[in-house]
Amino acid sequence: MAYCVRCGVKLSSGTKTCPLCGTEVQLPPGMEETSSDPLFAKELPPEGTHGITKARKGLIELIIALFAVSEITVGLSLFFSDALAYGFIPLFCIAMATVSLVSIVLAKPRYVHHASWQSLIVALLLLGLDGADFVWSWSLIAVGGIVIFWMYGVFPWSRWAKKHVKGGIALSVLSTVFYLALINLVVSGALTWFLPVAVPTLLALLLGTLLFFLWFSNRKGNRIPIADIVLGSMVVLFSSSAVFDGSLARYQTGAISLRWASSLLVTALVILLFMVAVSLSLRLRRYFTSHNRHD
Amino acid sequence: MKRIQNYAPEGFIALDNSALIYPPTEAVFNANTFRVSMDFSFSIKKAILEQALHDLLYRCSYAKIRLHTGFFWYYLSPNDADPIVHKEGSYPSGRFAFKENNGYLFKVLYSEHRIALECFHALTDGSGAMAYLKLLIERYCHHAGMPQVEFSGGLNYRVRPAKQEFSDPFQHLYDKQIPSYPAISKAYHRKGNGPFDDRVKVISATIATDQIKKRAKQRSLTIGEYLSTVYLYSLQRLQLEEVPNQKQRKPIRLSVPMNLRRIFGYDTMRNFTLFAVVGIEPALGFYEFDEIATEVHLQMAQAQSKKRLLSQIKRNVSGERNPFIRFAPTALKNPLFKLLSDFLGDDQYSGVITNLGYVALPPQLESQVVRCDFHLSPGLLNKISLAVIGYLDRIVVNFNSFYATDTSLERLFCTFLVEDGIQVEIATNREDTR
Repeated sequence: MAYCVRCGVKLSSGTKTCPLCGTEVQLPPGMEETSSDPLFAKELPPEGTHGITKARKGLIELIIALFAVSEITVGLSLFFSDALAYGFIPLFCIAMATVSLVSIVLAKPRYVHHASWQSLIVALLLLGLDGADFVWSWSLIAVGGIVIFWMYGVFPWSRWAKKHVKGGIALSVLSTVFYLALINLVVSGALTWFLPVAVPTLLALLLGTLLFFLWFSNRKGNRIPIADIVLGSMVVLFSSSAVFDGSLARYQTGAISLRWASSLLVTALVILLFMVAVSLSLRLRRYFTSHNRHD
Repeated sequence: MKRIQNYAPEGFIALDNSALIYPPTEAVFNANTFRVSMDFSFSIKKAILEQALHDLLYRCSYAKIRLHTGFFWYYLSPNDADPIVHKEGSYPSGRFAFKENNGYLFKVLYSEHRIALECFHALTDGSGAMAYLKLLIERYCHHAGMPQVEFSGGLNYRVRPAKQEFSDPFQHLYDKQIPSYPAISKAYHRKGNGPFDDRVKVISATIATDQIKKRAKQRSLTIGEYLSTVYLYSLQRLQLEEVPNQKQRKPIRLSVPMNLRRIFGYDTMRNFTLFAVVGIEPALGFYEFDEIATEVHLQMAQAQSKKRLLSQIKRNVSGERNPFIRFAPTALKNPLFKLLSDFLGDDQYSGVITNLGYVALPPQLESQVVRCDFHLSPGLLNKISLAVIGYLDRIVVNFNSFYATDTSLERLFCTFLVEDGIQVEIATNREDTR
């Protein structure tokens, strides 16, 4: 029978460490202890179930109870006012609100999980509201918008996207292309402005971003100044706008010309020239930046 | 053998007042179960135990019941299924799997040398479960061919059960004129360190009765009050580390279940327990051990006052009789009861210490009983519960905890006892110690 040297408690025979403080039991050399019977049988170790907690269970039951009461109340009131034919939308909305609340309680407490579930539920709600007659129109554009929100606002925080950055960017770009094509198809019934306007604008945006990325990433040091990011973004956006304006004019009138975006293009060129000059000339760089930051 | 003219409950049986809260609040981290057990020097045979269990249910036919979810309330009804004797696992007082137990609200378990009875709280309280266990052991000894054994203060197998055994005394004691017991503020809850899961990890401290009795007597306390004081003192030291700002320290309170049978003179086998809440206000400053002892002694005396108890009963029963609650569907009632169980229960105290008292063994068994145990399932808010039981010349304090690694409370408690000159022997079911 050993004692814990830290806690002073007597330990049952055969104990290797003190259950209270974890101190190892030190027996005199040559002395061995026989193990006493364990406190509980060892052959049936049930696993922890990590199941639903009391508070969560209560909340879910409350939500489901409220769902049942609201569905019955709304259903009966529609029935007695002879408006049951219009009952799908309110009943469906209550059901989806319930699913949304339950998913809030059940989803893992991570932004990606919650945002994904809520995006999916809102998308289903919109599809359901639009497709009561099994014909879908405006909801396709709205659901596409939710997909784009998910691609840019949720997906980059997922583990997969963090692991495969290039793949994630490619997927986001592809989803944008498809979304634009979808809008064109839903609104016009065919791909009209998508190829002559949207594709060149997107290509200009991508090409500009890629060039700036290559330029900045090949510089000495890892740190990209915020001023460079802001100015570079302005150049890319302004020049893409010019491409959009030019391709739109060509699509509408048949002639390539710049209308409202000419001033933007000039601004983009001036900013670009300034950036190139600052990048090439040490004197200019010293003039615009602090003395010891970009040597 | 004389046949017993027994009566069996039929049809719909209402839950007693204090049992109403247990089925709706039952969850993984709120099992609402407890276990009483006895270890013997002889081996336990399953076949004999099954016979004994059959006898137990024959005598106590009111325990041969199952739980149902009704439209307005949970209710009980007779259970014709065969009871099952289970092999004991590694962790006590877990969530009750009713289906695996043929719907019974109590479970008989055995291991090489142990007979245990695990109860869902809706059936009975600790004293009731101990009475069942005593009868079970009496019948086991009878079928095993051992000399006739009879526990004092237990159920008599040869006597027809009195109707009072399955009555709900709370309904008799309800007095409409008494004002309801006031609710109290939220108490301190330990955050604890490290992970936790739903397996109940036990650290069992065995203490010599004469040593602890001597220490308690020096301070004019009972053993239960002394242990409550040590528990409060340990919690206060933990709070001191967790909440450095004195003003922000919430009250530390303990919930101490009281057996009302002795106070009101009822012999029911259903729940008949209320909780004394004893505590200190650490926001006022650090309490020395003797200061806590004085507080606990006074508060326990106050809590046992019949007037205060009747006021608590009024609060509980009037809730049940409120027409809005009575005619609300169970689906709506369940979440409400969960909230109530937090507001009027778990929120108000920082820990539970339940004392089953001294179990007097019959002389024939004194040399045969190796140890007695009492375990209470912890909750999500208070992840450690203390259950105390006394037998022969020993007292066993079982710390039942959800924490996987955090044993700081147990350590503070036990080291205080050691520093106070009491020898403590520790055993555990935690896996990393053997």
